[in-house]
Amino acid sequence: MANLWNLIILDPMLNGLIALSSLLPKAVEFGLAIIIFTVVVRLILTPLTLRQLKSTKAMQSMQPKIQELQKKYGKNKQKLQQETMKVYKEAGVNPIGCMWPMLIQFPIWIALYQSIMKALATTPENLLDLSRHLYSWQIVNQSLPLNSHFLWLDLGQPDHTLILAILVGGTTWVQQKMTTAPSVDPRQQSMSSMMLLMMPFMFGMFCLMFPSGLPLFWLVSTVIGIATQYFIGGGWGYLRPSSTKQSALGRGSKRAL
Amino acid sequence: MRIKILISLGIFCFLALSAGGCVGGQQKPLGFSGVISYDGILYLGSTDGKIVAVNPSARNQEMSFPSSDGEWSFAITMPSKGISCGPSSVPVSIYGTPTVVGESVCIGTYNGKVLMMNLSARSQNLDFPQVRSGEWVYPRTEDVIEPIVGSPVVADDTVYVSSSDGRVYALDRTYGDEKWKSDPLGDKLWITPVVEEETVYVSTFDGHIYALSAKDGSLLPWAFKAEAGFASSPMLYENTIFAGSFDRNLYAVKIGDNDMVMQNDMMMPKELLWKFPGGNWFWATPVAKDGVVYAGCLDGKVYAIDSKTGNELWEFDAGSPIVSSPALTDDLLVVACDSGEVYALDIFNGKLINGVSIDAPIRGSLCIQEGIVYIRAQDNCLYAMDVGKGKINWRFPLTIK
Repeated sequence: MANLWNLIILDPMLNGLIALSSLLPKAVEFGLAIIIFTVVVRLILTPLTLRQLKSTKAMQSMQPKIQELQKKYGKNKQKLQQETMKVYKEAGVNPIGCMWPMLIQFPIWIALYQSIMKALATTPENLLDLSRHLYSWQIVNQSLPLNSHFLWLDLGQPDHTLILAILVGGTTWVQQKMTTAPSVDPRQQSMSSMMLLMMPFMFGMFCLMFPSGLPLFWLVSTVIGIATQYFIGGGWGYLRPSSTKQSALGRGSKRAL
Repeated sequence: MRIKILISLGIFCFLALSAGGCVGGQQKPLGFSGVISYDGILYLGSTDGKIVAVNPSARNQEMSFPSSDGEWSFAITMPSKGISCGPSSVPVSIYGTPTVVGESVCIGTYNGKVLMMNLSARSQNLDFPQVRSGEWVYPRTEDVIEPIVGSPVVADDTVYVSSSDGRVYALDRTYGDEKWKSDPLGDKLWITPVVEEETVYVSTFDGHIYALSAKDGSLLPWAFKAEAGFASSPMLYENTIFAGSFDRNLYAVKIGDNDMVMQNDMMMPKELLWKFPGGNWFWATPVAKDGVVYAGCLDGKVYAIDSKTGNELWEFDAGSPIVSSPALTDDLLVVACDSGEVYALDIFNGKLINGVSIDAPIRGSLCIQEGIVYIRAQDNCLYAMDVGKGKINWRFPLTIK
């Protein structure tokens, strides 16, 4: 199974990443390649991201109705399930619709993560392992080993300056805050608040442990996620609730017109 | 409905594939030190950070370790890094083969230290370093240089070692004082330098072969630039340097060639002697004898190449990447590969004489002594093999407490 994964997903991505590096200025080759590659992969995945955003938004807009049903049929679980499904069906929303695009993207992110880690090849063992994944393309072999220095970072080593950790933690918080809807249920609300702090903290900590090439990929990916959310999801979302209300009002008045 | 089922099945297969792909990532630096024989004793580094001296005859008799016949082990540790609940010190990784000179053994470690150990002091298990016995560590302070992957080379009263900071260090053999360190030579140096008379030759990851003055480390007006970085250490044979490159070629470059041209303020050989294409990188340092270069390649083949013309004389397919340098006897070439196979080949035509298999990758360089091949495999065991007869004489686990 691992061989098949390498053959059809990892190896093409890894060789593509290295080939791209060889086209860039040597001083910033791999750092810039990670950024460009992440942008390209996200662009390719845009239809799936849009579908996911659409489904998530539809689900969120139905939350008041669902909460009403929960109050009404809270004790009768079977009835609650039936009614909930009915509401979803009437609105033409598939409750697991927002999961599929996310699940399909997941292996791509794993492959990108593995490509970055393999291309960095920080130890002799990793460099030897890299040789097994390379095509015989001259452009790939001639550009090895890659220059792992980018700005202040050695992409093969963790960034101990805390800059990357703060940037990754901060952007993760912003992205999460934009999409986390406030809940009327106090238990759910406290859970969301905790997740809102825990995830950025966790990713920030990972930045101090993993080679900085990986946090650079997270950072670029999260920034693109925020931009997508902003331009397609309609502003800052739940990060600035007033702007959400205003944009909702704006849309409402436009519809009225 | 059928289409939906097919799509769901496709997505399921894709996810299952990705779960399979999740396995793997960055590998820990375990090290693959080779074996060297000196005065009847074998010296090697283990994957758990020890330098071990093994007496083959004591192992043959299955005596308890260490026997009194020159056997000892010395654990090299470093402070553990980062947030950890584990021990305060951890074993270092050792990639180079120890160098034995006189009564001392020298090694460079992956945490960036060079150690000179006295054989007698180590066999008595005295505290390290015993300065009066000529033991030292470089740098002496808590400082380290960048990881050392190649082996140290001792010439006259100097130890030469290359480091991942791209520099070559020349250290006093007796006291470990720094005589000089070169300017950074491009990227990391993961190689064993070649010292010839007053010149130190190094091959670099950015595709150069440089010549440094052995006296002060200054760059001499000779260099060679290949189309890609060099993967292997250089090997000098009959005034020619042989080194494998990431562009899948083995390069042969004449040194001291008069036919030079000026390029980027450097005198470069006008033409390389030849380059020989392989199916992957030539990672292992080649060996040479009687006008023939024997080079193991990561494509799983070992090639016999005419050292003057670059013509292939024969090749043997070992079936798995060859990471360790081959070893030569009078009429045999012994090759080990990453799948754990060891082959004895006829040096003249590459025909298989015999083979032995162990259940672990082999990456450290081999040592042949009196017809017996000694191999340290990645299962952290030392093997003694009579490859000519196709049998393993003994196996010694290096996880000694």
